[in-house]
Amino acid sequence: MPLNLTTATVAVGDQAPVLTHTLSRTDLVRYAGASGDYNPMHHDEPKAVAARQPSVFGHGMLSMGIVGTALTHYVGVGALQTFSVRFARQTWPGEELSTEITVTAIDGNVATLEVKLRNGDGEEKVVGQATALLGAA
Amino acid sequence: MDDATLKGFIGTEITRQTVVVERSAVAFFADAVLDTDPIYRDATVAAAAGFDGLPVPPTFPFVMGNWGAFAELQPEGAPGPGLGIVLGALMAGGGLILHGEQAFTYHAPVVTGQVLNAVGVIKDIYVKESKGSTMTFVVAETTWSDATTGEAVCTTTFNIIHRI
Repeated sequence: MPLNLTTATVAVGDQAPVLTHTLSRTDLVRYAGASGDYNPMHHDEPKAVAARQPSVFGHGMLSMGIVGTALTHYVGVGALQTFSVRFARQTWPGEELSTEITVTAIDGNVATLEVKLRNGDGEEKVVGQATALLGAA
Repeated sequence: MDDATLKGFIGTEITRQTVVVERSAVAFFADAVLDTDPIYRDATVAAAAGFDGLPVPPTFPFVMGNWGAFAELQPEGAPGPGLGIVLGALMAGGGLILHGEQAFTYHAPVVTGQVLNAVGVIKDIYVKESKGSTMTFVVAETTWSDATTGEAVCTTTFNIIHRI
């Protein structure tokens, strides 16, 4: 399994490359299909508006999935040991979302990372933590 | 619903399911989470990285029960009442359901072609009062294990909030 980071190359404070994406309604439809989550709040604008939402909004798990993509690109596919988030705010079509992933601790061959997804105004959409295996130095 | 009735749901088995991890579902899911890595699409790339099949994106275990849960694979009896057993009771009085938190613990790689058994249990239920609302938190944990070896591969923890 690819372990992209090693105990020799990683340090507390290191940051993963940022993944930035402007959310579209097509993204929501694609995630609905790929996940099997057909909650109309994520694709049916009239129903979302009737539920007093300004528009359709993103699946929380799409936000977590985008963070997961940036995270695995950084630590390596199969390196993750844990990954958890709290869903802080809804995401809206047109928002520019950016990942923010920072190494906060290293214990032996395991790194702890703080993970976030923010919009262009800096609003936190998801906030969480992950741990990942490091390769030998 | 009174507290004792609510707490009575703790420990309830809500799902029991057998699922095949399917290749096309994994590639489609990788598209949806904006991941273009060929490791999720090209068997040669996945094999070169040391996987027995194609690996899955880290949040795929949350949805894999929606794919590959073919009827003939399912264990005897019903697949379980699902979270509806407690959410239905809570929603009977109105309110809103929110996904509060989600966690994954990875024990071994999940790969395409693998057959997995899932067992889901309600782990905890607790209530908080906040800004005039009653928030009921329901924590469900699903353990996924390899159907052949019995080895646990992944644990998913789903925390949903009923707000009224």
